Amino acid sequence: MCFALLKRSSIRHFTYFNLRNHRISSLSVIISSVCQSQTVEASFARSARHYFTSSSAVVTPKTLISVSSLAHHFSSLSSLESRKTSEGLSVDKILDQRWPILDESQSDWRSHAAAIALSIQVIKKRLKWPNLVLRAEHLSSEVTRSDIWENPDYAGKVSRDHGICMGKIKEVNGLEQELIEHVELLKLARDEGDSELELETMKALLRMRRNVKEKEIEALLSGEQDPCPCFIEVQAGAGGTESMDWAAMVMNMYKMWAQRRGFHTTVVDEMPGEIAGIKRATIKVDGDYAFGYAKAEVGVHRLVRISPFDSSKRRHTSFAAVAVIPILGDVSTHVVIKESDLRIERFRSGGAGGQSVNTTDSAVRIVHIPTGVTATCQNERSQHQNKAMAMQVLQSRLDQLEMARQAQLNSQLTQSLTDISWGNQIRTYVLHPYRMVKDLRTNYEVSDPDSVLEGDIDAFILSFLSASLDKKDNYLGNGTGSRPNFVPPLFLSCTGLGSMNQV
Amino acid sequence: MTLSVFRAIHTAVSPHSLIFRRSRASFCCSVNRPSSSSSAVSATPVSTVRIPLFLREATGTATISELHAWRKWAQTLVSSVGSKFEDADNGPGPELLCREIRWMLEDVVEANLDVVNRLSDETAFGKDGDVVRLRAGLDELYCLWEERIEKRRPFQYLVGCDHWRDLVVCVQEGVLIPRPETEMIVDMVEEVVSRDKRLAEGIWADLGTGSGALGIGIARILRNGGKVVATDISEVAISVASFNVNRYGLQDKIELRQGSWFEPLEDVKGKLSGLVSNPPYIPSMNIAGLQAEVGQHEPRLALDGGKDGLDYLLHLCENSALALESGGFFAFETNGGSQSKFIADVMTNRSNFSFRDVKIVADLSGIQRFVTGFRQ
Ligand SMILES: C[S@@+](CC[C@H](N)C(=O)[O-])C[C@H]1O[C@@H](n2cnc3c(N)ncnc32)[C@H](O)[C@@H]1O
Repeated sequence: MCFALLKRSSIRHFTYFNLRNHRISSLSVIISSVCQSQTVEASFARSARHYFTSSSAVVTPKTLISVSSLAHHFSSLSSLESRKTSEGLSVDKILDQRWPILDESQSDWRSHAAAIALSIQVIKKRLKWPNLVLRAEHLSSEVTRSDIWENPDYAGKVSRDHGICMGKIKEVNGLEQELIEHVELLKLARDEGDSELELETMKALLRMRRNVKEKEIEALLSGEQDPCPCFIEVQAGAGGTESMDWAAMVMNMYKMWAQRRGFHTTVVDEMPGEIAGIKRATIKVDGDYAFGYAKAEVGVHRLVRISPFDSSKRRHTSFAAVAVIPILGDVSTHVVIKESDLRIERFRSGGAGGQSVNTTDSAVRIVHIPTGVTATCQNERSQHQNKAMAMQVLQSRLDQLEMARQAQLNSQLTQSLTDISWGNQIRTYVLHPYRMVKDLRTNYEVSDPDSVLEGDIDAFILSFLSASLDKKDNYLGNGTGSRPNFVPPLFLSCTGLGSMNQV
Repeated sequence: MTLSVFRAIHTAVSPHSLIFRRSRASFCCSVNRPSSSSSAVSATPVSTVRIPLFLREATGTATISELHAWRKWAQTLVSSVGSKFEDADNGPGPELLCREIRWMLEDVVEANLDVVNRLSDETAFGKDGDVVRLRAGLDELYCLWEERIEKRRPFQYLVGCDHWRDLVVCVQEGVLIPRPETEMIVDMVEEVVSRDKRLAEGIWADLGTGSGALGIGIARILRNGGKVVATDISEVAISVASFNVNRYGLQDKIELRQGSWFEPLEDVKGKLSGLVSNPPYIPSMNIAGLQAEVGQHEPRLALDGGKDGLDYLLHLCENSALALESGGFFAFETNGGSQSKFIADVMTNRSNFSFRDVKIVADLSGIQRFVTGFRQ
């Protein structure tokens, strides 16, 4: 069973290498004779599909893949021609027809086809298609370099990235293929007067229409760090209890949002206000694409209401600032922190300590002396764990700082940085004199603040993500699209937040 | 007194009101369930060990709204205290006490943490009839929290455990609750053994092991062949330590011996690679003024270090030279300040030059907490 020791990616490389060099004919024989178990075969089948096939390719355990279909898919992939039918039907052609898009309930195949074609176009745009293809080609040539495994870390990263890129390309090509097949089948059915087939195909088109609509949303989260877990930090603006209460409401909104999405949250750090609310708090959010979604919340959130803390019932405006920091999974991309650059201290510990004191509090603060960046944690049950968690927060903050620095070096990103600068006000919540929540970036608004404050913020997030990705013509993009990944940590400096009375 | 008012409120809303009519002379909920742990096997009398909440079987149930009511009640008790404990003796403030309420739920509710999260979420309530399984009866929960507030019984004794480093150490009355400061001794040992493999494979001693925390922490970082001998004079301490040692599966790495300081160590005299101890070091005259959780609940045997608090520390100084092998490491915890200076001075200048690299190490609060060094 020595084969089982091989990484799946190596099987992929093997396959890929052979295909590139047109040594295809013996491939399936080799693979099937070497693979000793179902799982390895299945794994190969997966990887092979991953690379070369559209969804229509069928993989059977012994013969795996018909060589000719492999070759076909391979060539169409690398040349990136759009898929065409024998009569030259393609997704672009469908778009060119400008068939009107009607409501889903109207069973008009042209409308479905046009809607699907449009979705595919949106998906490609969001994925920055030409970029993606260039990147895939670059990575492909990297993974086939004979010396690549001399640096296993690099090789691992390249092969992982390569797999991801190819997966995306494969998926979109599969969608194009599927659309064309449906359209052809439908035409065939009509020509032959096969009403049963026509009905079936209509259903399939409608299913596909819904499916691609969801894929549009998935394509919003194609940033490198989007799949990461993250920290969400909320800080009250100046203005005392009023804004501390607001900060707590905002934090609560995120906790409930996370719960709705099935994300797991842990409070890392919380500094309560004297009378109500929080001065600031940090939570950790675990779950698929936590950062991808949450990054859309970065900025200042403004509340207008009659203050429950103001006996003369005046209208108040308060602010809370939100920062979102990805927790990078790839350790090799972490900023290296020198132990000697750290000051680690216990805070809020009073008196003699040691045996004389019994406390369940073991809050820890870590200061990174060269940058002044700090992280605190007080919600874990032991000092050791508080220290570990604070360290994790510190690491993420420093990583983010470094990313921001690099982004600034890369002038192309300057534009997007100003777009999403953390100090910008992004959303207003009005509870009085009327009721409304409005996103200032997208102008998206709803009239039910309660449900928003109970965590129903997905619509805001998605509209922002799509606006920022679809706004500029980054179809030919070179990274100038807004990718709000590079956000300086909020608590490095925080000025200009206030709370004021509007009498 | 305000507390009885809250009890009255609770009594009115609780379906368990009868339970609260009994005398309060004794611990109202001393847990005498038949011990369900036959797992802890050892030559020492483990039967005296009380099973901590988080390890008990979930035999009780409650609805989410009942638990929510408990939490509300517990918080009302906390607000009635306000900063009273803080002002009186630097005891816990409301924020800490509220966190303890949450942790208590974490230990007692047999379900994932999301249930506990839901409990602290005001809006998700109403009449939540979902039933969750509990490791203690609701009535017991009420009793325990009442003890926390009225008697200042330490939280760690209520739940029967203390989170220390990456360990969950079981504790009960009669055994000192391990302190966060002491965690650092393990860090220091870790550093020393990472530099000197020989020490990592040698015999280490933890004198006055109490719950066994230090011994367990050290045993887990020693390499194969490394062993810990942990001693204590207290029978309860030895039982609890043995329970903890078993729970971490370290029976083969840690040997517990009952006896006074170096007495049980005759056979390893001069062979120790390391010696750590957190002996009682509080000056006798300070005992009366201690924070209630400590002074009224933790064993004096674990705290009182004699007139200057130095009795046992000096005893350790005097005997370390004979106990340690050449190159062996020692780390002692002290009351800080002048005590550590004094002990460092003794080890440096009044020990016939038996030690080298004697250092004072501060804890994370900046208090000169530890004295460390090596046998020449
Ligand atoms: C401050 S506690 C330390 C407990 C544990 N090592 C810790 O750090 O949590 C001191 C311990 O010394 C023990 N002790 C007191 N007198 C002793 C003696 N004469 N011989 C051995 N141990 C003793 C007490 O029982 C107590 O467990």
